[in-house]
Amino acid sequence: MKNWFLYSLIVLASVVLLFLSVPLLNMIFGSDLMMLLDTLKQKDVVGSIYLTMKVSLWAMIFVLITGLPLAYIIARYNFFGRSFVEALIDIPIMIPHTAAGIALLMIFGRGSISNFFDSIGITFVDTEMGIMIAMMFLSSTFLINGAKEGFKKVDVKLEKVARTLGANPMQVFLRISIPNARKDIINGALMMWGRGLGEFGAVIMLAYHPMVAPVLIYDRFTTYGLKHSAPVAAIMIIISIFIFLSVRFVNNRLK
Amino acid sequence: MKLFEVENLSYKLGDFKLDNINFRVNQGEYFVLLGQSGSGKTLLLESIAGFNSVEGKINFEGKDISKLSPEYRNVGFVYQDFALFPNLNVRENIMFSAKYKHIENPEETLHDLADFLGLVPLLKREIENLSGGERQRVAIARALFSKPKILLLDEPLSAIDPTFRNSIMKFLKDIHRKYNLTTIHVTHNFREASYLADRIAIVMNGQIKQIGAATDVLNNPANIEVAKFLGFKNILPSSMINDTKERLFSVDPNAIHVGKYKIDCDYVFGGTLEECMGIVDHYKIFVNVNGEQFFAKILKRDYQGCYADRGENIYIGFNKEDVCYL
Repeated sequence: MKNWFLYSLIVLASVVLLFLSVPLLNMIFGSDLMMLLDTLKQKDVVGSIYLTMKVSLWAMIFVLITGLPLAYIIARYNFFGRSFVEALIDIPIMIPHTAAGIALLMIFGRGSISNFFDSIGITFVDTEMGIMIAMMFLSSTFLINGAKEGFKKVDVKLEKVARTLGANPMQVFLRISIPNARKDIINGALMMWGRGLGEFGAVIMLAYHPMVAPVLIYDRFTTYGLKHSAPVAAIMIIISIFIFLSVRFVNNRLK
Repeated sequence: MKLFEVENLSYKLGDFKLDNINFRVNQGEYFVLLGQSGSGKTLLLESIAGFNSVEGKINFEGKDISKLSPEYRNVGFVYQDFALFPNLNVRENIMFSAKYKHIENPEETLHDLADFLGLVPLLKREIENLSGGERQRVAIARALFSKPKILLLDEPLSAIDPTFRNSIMKFLKDIHRKYNLTTIHVTHNFREASYLADRIAIVMNGQIKQIGAATDVLNNPANIEVAKFLGFKNILPSSMINDTKERLFSVDPNAIHVGKYKIDCDYVFGGTLEECMGIVDHYKIFVNVNGEQFFAKILKRDYQGCYADRGENIYIGFNKEDVCYL
């Protein structure tokens, strides 16, 4: 019994692993296949899943464009208030999602900022745009922090040498910094996108309609009960896991 | 012909300061900045490349380039750990500058460099599959491909296996000659400097302490600090050898003769043997003469044994031509 320590670790670890996997496995393998196929034929289900993925992707792209520069600034420069900025990025992870939704509604649902966006034809209440900002608010942390860690791992000397070889700072950023932080950026983006898919609390405050998948699941559960919401949940879980695993696989293959 | 000149350069980084640095480098010269780690020599090299905004002037062919961005300075930089781009293969690394600078006959330049540096079979390799020596050659090729007017080398030998150091040193000299380069090489190793350098500047605590032709600097250190750094031993007051001036002298441990009885030299001292250590091919002998310690090295092929036991009397001596005054 000299390995008693290792055995006890394995036993304890199995408890949490089972807890994490059994509900998911039950959802996937315990569902009635005919029921799943039937559900897939329902237009509102397919539309809702498509909408969820699409809007979460937009949110991710928006944060790639704006969050990568932010992550790079934090990783490279030491400035007054840096830890404050870092804390600000982390905060959305800790606050209740419904509270975040209310906060967003106060800014983008009424008042001068909302009016400004109205005047250029952008509204947030009950629109895809509203869903996007709700997803973005609660999940951009993952992308920004992932990219920040990635940029930190890129040796500054690579960037310096590239400058002596004639590249300007923008060219260095695009050809050296981003490609060498790529793995962490992709992982972060994937985490953000995945979190966006599951966003419920904030989305429901800003846009009950059009219904994203989590809202649809909730809506069916409260209106028709478990029997009608479970297949949608199962489909959503299967699709998410599939996409998640395939992007992870491809990313790990990258040098 | 003067190519490059640093005038009154200063730069502050936290508690450290590069302090009023002045030196010039001639066209075609191999110039070594020699100093201990933490002396500021790498910071100085990076300042020349344009990574720090410094006070003072950096004149290059008569023009002040101290305000120019690194991409306009025409310098090639090779870091100690080579800083190759892991996302690009060997060929892409070497040809990196072709995208941003006008390089005449890029393919021909690549092949000429690859040929001379023995990189032809490696061009398609990924960086992670290269050995230390290969990485260094790629880093040098990448710098030379961009046709720099001056090549900056930051401790190029410290990441190389010691067994290959001599051949790499020769190789650096060959490259310097073949491509008619002007090179500034930073190192902490005075042996490296003595082999490679035309001229040497000694850097200590952010200041240049001595500058001149390599042989002058290495044989005539300006002060005791420089002498100690250059490995001078037996630094003692010159009154011991009847010198009228109040100064120090140094004598090479290899030039000291040792004997059980009085020996025939210009200066002879009797003392007590403090320690005798036999090491591979020689003995290190420490002798106390009136409270000052002399250190002598005796090759085992010249004499087997320590001449005396610890605590016994012993004679040491050396000649006038072996004395170096500081």
